[in-house]
Amino acid sequence: MALELVDLVKAFPGADAAHPAVDRVSLTIERGSFVSLIGSSGCGKTTTLRMIAGLEFPDRGRILHEGRDVTLVPTSERGMRMMFQDYALFPHMTVGENVAFGLRLRRQRGRHTAGEIDRLVDEQLERVHLPGLRGRKPAELSGGQRQRVALARALITDPEVLLFDEPLGALDAGLRRAMQFELKRLHAELGKTFVYVTHDQHEALAMSDRIAVMHAGRVLQYATPEDIYFTPRTRYVARFVGSANLLDGVLVDADRRVGRVRLPNGSVIEGSAPEDAPAGTRVAAVIRADRIEIRPAGSTDAVRGTVQERLFLGTHDEFLVRLDGLDADVSVHRPTGTGGAISVGDPVGLAWQPENVRVLSE
Amino acid sequence: MQRPVEYGRQGWLRVSALVVLGFLYVPILTMVVFSFNENPVIGLPLRGPTLDWYRAFIDNEDVLESIVNGAMVAAGCVCLGVGFGLPAAIALDRHEFPGKAFFRRVVLLPIVLPGVITGVALLNFLVLVSIPLSLWTIVLGVGTALICITVTEVFARLQQLGRSQEEAAENLGATPAEVFFRVTLPNISTALWGSALITYAIAFDELAVTYLLTGRDNTLPMALWSMLRREATPEINAIATTVFAASAVVLVAGLWLSRGRGEQVQS
Repeated sequence: MALELVDLVKAFPGADAAHPAVDRVSLTIERGSFVSLIGSSGCGKTTTLRMIAGLEFPDRGRILHEGRDVTLVPTSERGMRMMFQDYALFPHMTVGENVAFGLRLRRQRGRHTAGEIDRLVDEQLERVHLPGLRGRKPAELSGGQRQRVALARALITDPEVLLFDEPLGALDAGLRRAMQFELKRLHAELGKTFVYVTHDQHEALAMSDRIAVMHAGRVLQYATPEDIYFTPRTRYVARFVGSANLLDGVLVDADRRVGRVRLPNGSVIEGSAPEDAPAGTRVAAVIRADRIEIRPAGSTDAVRGTVQERLFLGTHDEFLVRLDGLDADVSVHRPTGTGGAISVGDPVGLAWQPENVRVLSE
Repeated sequence: MQRPVEYGRQGWLRVSALVVLGFLYVPILTMVVFSFNENPVIGLPLRGPTLDWYRAFIDNEDVLESIVNGAMVAAGCVCLGVGFGLPAAIALDRHEFPGKAFFRRVVLLPIVLPGVITGVALLNFLVLVSIPLSLWTIVLGVGTALICITVTEVFARLQQLGRSQEEAAENLGATPAEVFFRVTLPNISTALWGSALITYAIAFDELAVTYLLTGRDNTLPMALWSMLRREATPEINAIATTVFAASAVVLVAGLWLSRGRGEQVQS
């Protein structure tokens, strides 16, 4: 395994000591994998990344790299390269000088001839699709180009681990997508460990081998994108990753990880649970909008409601349905052009498979 | 849509701008003109252009010596001001230490205090510890007061710069010295040049502290002052014109220098 975080704790001076920025975070990151840390701002993801990089030091806990304890090793000695949100290019140097920076430092002295450095710089610029720009200054580049220069500068020293701090945050949507594909391609090509921080769950789902969802300094769930999406362990994860409906209720019974939830209107929903909680526990039934079937109301429907809103979203229609006897709206996605016509105000019936329902107590 | 105000078209603005500029530069122009006037009394009528006053200036060894003295004092002040101001600015921006907020204010105090007060205080102190007055004591008195120029200029630049470039350099394997000389220093060089120029200019024509702290040697403002007290001849105009021309050259060079580098620094 490449990286191991063991019980990391980090509180910033002046902040509330009872709620550290990073609170007992433990993660194992396999060599060569692409791991994303996601969460809303202030959840501790960037601080965790900066501790891996050696730009911050934890108050407690350890960081192991290939079995070696690097917790207090300075960033310059770690062999990990960080990509900064603002790219952090050196404005007084040309693109070529920026990329060559890591090779021209004292620790590299004598390892490369000037000609070799030239060749390596060209090679890296080619790799990030910026050939011929080595004479430019960063100020003359677009945001996407600066991003690529920063990437080339990081890659030229052949690090084992690459760390990304919301690197695509400043790019527009189209460029963002192009860079996502680019990073995926680079990851596959280089076989290096990527640790990637983002607040964009779609980006994390699309790119990662594993995702750690963080909230209030803690890792709530660390799993594959599929697991995070389909079997969230907590309500926060369910809500943060994709559009899930949360219906609050009380657990009737739970057996072998199948729970039954009674909603305030009396109807009972069955679903899978991460653990068997005692009956009477306050829980939520979680159902993804795209796993709910919607149809005009009929006598056989177990769950009924009224359409409050209909939004046309291109690939699908989104319906907001107010459930009968409940003070809760449920969002339903239906692929465009399927099923009968449903308009605002229509009574409808909702149906879903029990395996698409999660029963979560946390 | 509302049209943007075109300030250039507003007559009163142009007039007031011209009045202010005139107030600043007409006296200087007068001084330049009278420095070539043959009439030994400063005033009209103008009589045939002459370089006599410039010749008198070049032959006046006291004045020449005072210029050299002043230049040396100013250079010493720049060394002191930049040499202590740069580390102080870095400490204020990059490090936490006890009494930091207090230090930030205290470092600005000398420029707020009237020079006479600083001068009297230093004079008392120097007499007390029996340090003989000389050009060095001027450097000590004026230079320490001007440290705050470099501190404020460089501190502002460092704040604006942020940490990520330095972190990136360190992350790429740079030692602290490499980070400083290859990343930090190039980014703040214009602020350093700027504070050096301002420090030099202020130190060169400082009078109050200098008057109190000097020994036998004079600087230019003191030499001019004592000449004026005896008799105002057009030679003073010639000296002042020369200093003005030299300052203008330095100023233009400084602006040109900082603009050239400023383009590189903006990202």
